[in-house]
Amino acid sequence: MIGFLQQAITGLMIGSLYALVGVAVVLVYKSTHVVSLAHGQLVAFGALFFWLFFGGLGIPFWISLIPAFVLTALMGLLIERLALRPLIGQPLFAAFFMTFAIFIVLEGIFVLYLKGESRALPAFLPTGNIEIYGISMPINQLISFFVAILLFIALSLIFRYTKVGLGMRATAEDHRLAQSAGVNVRNIFSYIWILSAIVAAIAGIATANVMDIYYMLPYIGINGLIVAICGGLDSLPGALIVGLFLGVVENVGAGYLDPIVGGGVKDVAAYVVLLLVLLIRPYGLFGLVRIERI
Amino acid sequence: MLNLNNIEVIYSDVILVLKGVSLDVMEGKIVALLGANGAGKTTALKAISGLLKTELGKVTDGNIEFGGKIIDQKSPEEIVRLGIVQVMEGRPLFEQLTVEENIKVGAYSRSDTIEIKKDMENVYQYFPILTGMRHRVSGYLSGGERQMLVMGRGLMASPKLMLLDEPSLGLSPSMVKEIFKIIELINRENNTSILLVEQNAFAALSISEHAYVMENGRIVLDGLSSKLKENEDIKEFYLGLSQVGKRKSYKEVKHYKRRKRWLS
Repeated sequence: MIGFLQQAITGLMIGSLYALVGVAVVLVYKSTHVVSLAHGQLVAFGALFFWLFFGGLGIPFWISLIPAFVLTALMGLLIERLALRPLIGQPLFAAFFMTFAIFIVLEGIFVLYLKGESRALPAFLPTGNIEIYGISMPINQLISFFVAILLFIALSLIFRYTKVGLGMRATAEDHRLAQSAGVNVRNIFSYIWILSAIVAAIAGIATANVMDIYYMLPYIGINGLIVAICGGLDSLPGALIVGLFLGVVENVGAGYLDPIVGGGVKDVAAYVVLLLVLLIRPYGLFGLVRIERI
Repeated sequence: MLNLNNIEVIYSDVILVLKGVSLDVMEGKIVALLGANGAGKTTALKAISGLLKTELGKVTDGNIEFGGKIIDQKSPEEIVRLGIVQVMEGRPLFEQLTVEENIKVGAYSRSDTIEIKKDMENVYQYFPILTGMRHRVSGYLSGGERQMLVMGRGLMASPKLMLLDEPSLGLSPSMVKEIFKIIELINRENNTSILLVEQNAFAALSISEHAYVMENGRIVLDGLSSKLKENEDIKEFYLGLSQVGKRKSYKEVKHYKRRKRWLS
């Protein structure tokens, strides 16, 4: 039992990072209806930018965060401006493939820069373990878990209670109607990409805290996409719940099945979950309730 | 205040929808725009509010002037900021948002918090039914409630000119009466000019001061509403009355189409 709980809790920690990336993808989908693959790279580059300043130049942690966020946000903004804005009014499929192309191009740059090596971030969170009821939890993962939860709460509050949040929700529903109500939809798109890029960067930095920065990092972002799709693409709580769940499934599944099948369960667990969810509920687990008037 | 000077609108570079439309809305007046389906009334409104640009339409000739500024190349949100709000046909709402949030979105272009609060109270005063539904998800409202909410949202931009597209469409007669009463009230109390597109010609002519009749992308007739009400052609084609002013009976319907002459 303790073994199971231990694995589940470790899964929750990892899952919170998936959830963050999922939230970033949901943010973009909600208001622009573009399903973005590019966020996988934003995660990776967020971590890389942070490494450049923190690990490379040795600038203190809090100060390094600023350029890392700014650069990632800029990247998000440029993707929106240069690649996606010209596609407004084109089929959404075109936009999706555009993000796919961006993913591949950035992947190339990422690998080219790292030359197949990996970069390890110096530890910036307190190390060690806390033990509660016989379950040990690494402090640094615990911290990133709570950061993820706090960030999620903050985003929900922004969406619900601020004017920009209201504009974002209005834009999500109907671009033309939002424009006719005086919402500057183009600006909203820019804000959304900046915001989601920063969320992705945070996820990337938190991930780099527990694993090295290497060519597989962007694929954490793909897990985020899976999370978003399973959660229904337009539901923030959906992304959170599915993200945590996915982390647990991966970890517990690996714990029990790896000895039997000989490893690799972690890598397929997410896709198996996606497959099952799409079979049972093709529109995702959560998602907005479609309003039918009778 | 608003002048359309001989504007021409083309959709997708090929379809000519408005062929030289000119009309004026004076400050504080209600102006009606009548015409059959497909005459180009909605297109004219969209040209004014800038929404045309979101659907591949363009003003290719002439210009639109509002308060001395040329606005036909401006974006919809800039035009809202200048004081023109279009209340679209079909009463589109942000269905996932609550009633109150819908109203708040209407004030998105403004930043004067105190005035916004006051205007919100005002909207609830015009439409008391909405007060009790503040926190309800708006997608479940009835047709009449939707119309009120849509107009309330429009009012929140504190417009100098409201473009109302078929506010009475599909509503019960008593609801139509109420909506028109409120339109008059808005016009009188806020000194908001109103350009009203309507199929309900009688009601529109009753509350408006001036009216235009459109056909095939052209203005074919205009004049004081009280005069137009007496016009033989208007009576025949829009009010459904025969020459003597009685209800039209099938006995008198001629089996050839009466020619319109459009002489005012």
